[in-house]
Amino acid sequence: MNHLESALYWSSLSFEIVLCGFVFTRKVQRILPLFAAYTCVPLTCAISLWLTYEYFGFTSPIAGYAYWGSVVLTSAARSLAIAELCRYGLRAYRGIWALVWRVLTALSIFLIVHVAVDAWGQPNGVAIYGVTLDRDLALVSIVILAVLLLFRNYYGVALEPLQRAIAAGICFICAVDVIGDTILRNVYTGYLFSWFLTSQKAFWPALRPQVERVNDIWSAVHLSCFMISMGIWCYALRKPVPAPSERPVLLPAEVYRELSPTINLRLSTFNNRLVDLLKP
Amino acid sequence: MNELSIVILLAIALTGVLLWLLVPRHKSSRMAAPSFPSNVNDALPTAKHYVYFPQIRQALSEADSNYLRETAPPQVAKQALRERRAVARRFLKGLHEDFSNLARFGRIIAALSPEVSREQETERLILSLKFQILYSLAWLRLSAGNLPLEQLEHLTGLVGRLATRMDAAMAEISTLSARQIPRSLGT
Repeated sequence: MNHLESALYWSSLSFEIVLCGFVFTRKVQRILPLFAAYTCVPLTCAISLWLTYEYFGFTSPIAGYAYWGSVVLTSAARSLAIAELCRYGLRAYRGIWALVWRVLTALSIFLIVHVAVDAWGQPNGVAIYGVTLDRDLALVSIVILAVLLLFRNYYGVALEPLQRAIAAGICFICAVDVIGDTILRNVYTGYLFSWFLTSQKAFWPALRPQVERVNDIWSAVHLSCFMISMGIWCYALRKPVPAPSERPVLLPAEVYRELSPTINLRLSTFNNRLVDLLKP
Repeated sequence: MNELSIVILLAIALTGVLLWLLVPRHKSSRMAAPSFPSNVNDALPTAKHYVYFPQIRQALSEADSNYLRETAPPQVAKQALRERRAVARRFLKGLHEDFSNLARFGRIIAALSPEVSREQETERLILSLKFQILYSLAWLRLSAGNLPLEQLEHLTGLVGRLATRMDAAMAEISTLSARQIPRSLGT
């Protein structure tokens, strides 16, 4: 590791420790256990990676596998935290939750199948699989969060400030990952592709500095942006977490059964009248 | 455009939408169940703009237009007609607000219902989207000056009847669950 990498590594590790401290001091694990687990994953991965680098060396193939493994593990933990955000608060609204979870699950399955197909179709190289998987999972995360927020805005069930900050932090790091991973993947499958072909081994010594430089730049950007996301979460956790809002008392089912068709019929009549109005 | 540009633009666009959705807005926070006023009559929407139609009709009547054209200097008449169209546009905007409030009422009922119909919700979403498009077209035609006043009157009458029915429905709900609505929408 060079000086910049060391500085970024230690500062992000410090941020992760501070974030975990905030999460457990504020007892976030009681209301959002999967988000609390997600905040621990980067810290665990950072310590494991440090041990791997110490034991096997920073440039060893095992270190590379460990790095990409940690990236995929973090993405998986983030996906679970997003699933928890989807469930949080909406579950009390039984009617719309039954609708929302089906839509989100169908969308997630479709997108994750697309992620698997996209990663499977990549040329050889763990790094290319890893980058593609990370990019597609980040894109799925943004799409799912956007759909969730559209649903919440549509039905007027707003997110609480802490959950909003969590969503903003996840959205920011996912956007950076999508953009960075897309550029990195293009570089890997473009002019650095020889690096992944054993038949082009002769070029490897010449390519090594370029590969390392590309990886360094991406690591620096990713870690810096992840620290910004952690900063957003720490800021949201600076005050004690308010108690979860009371569960809503639902109306009798007949009210919806009687009123909803009437409302829709009226809205439809209104639209028909607008169509008449627009006829020449 | 290559894949790189498409993915980057998509990520930026999606993030923009997401951040826009995350910004707390006055209207949506009012809509949020925990911050609803405890009085059900304040919480539930009512159509109010349609009641001003008689005044608007007077202001936009053909007789008034003819009188203006005959008596006022051309510049003044032109200015007055332009302003009348602006008034009609604002009135149409008010009707839009009435429609939105009534559609929102449907969504509140859905949010507070223990079971909802997928077909009903999809239909309401499509109706609202269709309304947005039709409203934009009506607004454009009104701006261009070729939307007859009688047709606007028909539309206003419809909103009025719809509002009356919704008022009756609200009263019915209040009777049905006098305690439940304030408790669930209040505090």
